[in-house]
Amino acid sequence: MSRLPEDLKVRLDAVAPAGIEFSSTVDANGVTVAWAGLANHGDLKSVGQLIHELGGRLAMITCTQPSAPEEEEEDEDEEAEEGAEAKAAEPKETPKSFGGTPLDGTSYEIDYHFDIGGDALTVIAYVPQGGSIASLTPLFRNADWHEREMMELYAVVVTEHPDPRRLFLDQSVDNAVLERLIPFSTLVNAASTKGLWERVLSNANKKGAA
Amino acid sequence: MSSNNVPETFSIPVGPLHVALEEPMYFKIDVQGETVTHVDINAGHVHRGIEYLTTKRTMYQNVVLTERICSLCSNSHPQTFAMAAEQIAGIEVPERGIYLRVVADELKRVASHLFNTALLVHLTGYETYFMHMMQVREICQDTIESIFGNRQDIGAMCIGGVRYDLDEKSIAYILSQLDRIEPEVHDIIKTYKSNGSILRRTKGVGVLTHADAIATGVVGPVARASGVDYDVRREAPYAAYDRLPLVVHGATDGDVWSRAMVRLQETLTSIDLLRVCLRDLPGGAVNINDRPDIPPGQAIARCEAPRGEVLYYLRTNDTPQPERVKWRVPTFMNWDAVCFMMQGAKVADIAIIVNSIDPCLSCTER
Repeated sequence: MSRLPEDLKVRLDAVAPAGIEFSSTVDANGVTVAWAGLANHGDLKSVGQLIHELGGRLAMITCTQPSAPEEEEEDEDEEAEEGAEAKAAEPKETPKSFGGTPLDGTSYEIDYHFDIGGDALTVIAYVPQGGSIASLTPLFRNADWHEREMMELYAVVVTEHPDPRRLFLDQSVDNAVLERLIPFSTLVNAASTKGLWERVLSNANKKGAA
Repeated sequence: MSSNNVPETFSIPVGPLHVALEEPMYFKIDVQGETVTHVDINAGHVHRGIEYLTTKRTMYQNVVLTERICSLCSNSHPQTFAMAAEQIAGIEVPERGIYLRVVADELKRVASHLFNTALLVHLTGYETYFMHMMQVREICQDTIESIFGNRQDIGAMCIGGVRYDLDEKSIAYILSQLDRIEPEVHDIIKTYKSNGSILRRTKGVGVLTHADAIATGVVGPVARASGVDYDVRREAPYAAYDRLPLVVHGATDGDVWSRAMVRLQETLTSIDLLRVCLRDLPGGAVNINDRPDIPPGQAIARCEAPRGEVLYYLRTNDTPQPERVKWRVPTFMNWDAVCFMMQGAKVADIAIIVNSIDPCLSCTER
């Protein structure tokens, strides 16, 4: 006996004209877990509105940058990344997500996990690199922190966010930290013992001069 | 007071260290005279990037890592993570294993709730009773240490079941310890209901209305004390909770006192659940005694930690490492609720209100 409305798929289709990829499973305890992929991430706001009307609670937002699906056999572009990358030998088809966002390892998948009376509904939006997604904070107050965290961990732009400040990371750290490799020595501000000492020394000199 | 008798407005910093808790959080609080008018929260002091780290560890190493996110709900993290992995791999936990999961979970809940309610008494200045309550909590901590060998990170969970077992002797020992704790908790509830200094400092203080509780999306005792009747153990049963006599406690006042009372009543329910579990404990294996590869897939899993719903999202690929692990703890939303609770509160009540959400920062910031 699901607590999601029976006609949920129909109602989702109505508010997401570009299309919905819907699936759901029911576990042994009768708890429904449903997934709804959006063909067009622009439909997120209207879908959010529908879930808000259904009394849903936003439980979590997950942003991921799914790695590109493994290529079948050849693996030759290890070295040739620099110049020839743009137009490699034969134009290989980049796999695409539902809705046509290229799955090349740089696009984002943003999962909005909702709870409706105990059942779970996850709405999935696919956003290409450099793309943006509308904020759900005006609808669900608690989207605020999730979206701020998403903006500092990834280079995703959340539009219409009422308060797009940093959440956990300091202003001095560039955003998209999960998209970059930051060597541990850089992270802890000491590329080598000598480097740290030199910085302390030059700071001290500067102070002495002033 | 200024000359025309209107209280002056100040902005005072509270934290990052010592606001009723041992973890750092920084509040910028605007006050007019003695009254709070606006709260701004500055988080991030213990952001450690554990989400990134999980993608560098194997699934089985992550059971150990997730236990170290937080100490008070250290059992809920690996349990929820394991539940997500079990869903993806289609692993069925043996009956004895799911009962033992409840035993570990509820013992931790008793210890956690008693810790929070004891701290509240400490913040009201009733030091002797604080020490008494910590002594009661110590009975539970002793039990946990004797059974699991550790006081906080108990290492009870694994993918496919649990890593510990109980025999006749240890079951009798837990039951005898519960018999010692239960009358004390009844006494504590009586004191909470009658003691003037506790009542004066907590009744009608830090109110979170039902509407605000819905808007902020809070969970756990904070939500239940504001009339949001939601408990993952009942709404989305896991482990053995579907066949246990679970009672969900609530209140409607939404003040500091109600949140503490919900926690104390839940402590008694936890003791009941433990007794039933230990009575009905089925025989057989405690885990699947295997470490199968977790196939590619995605899943979400939810648990009721002492502070409320913990949600895990897990996405796996062909490698032993997960592609993405993301989790959200109850305190993540509860901070926003603190801003509502503090509206119009007195400066002296700030610490009491912060403590009343049972904050957990290392969980929130990861």
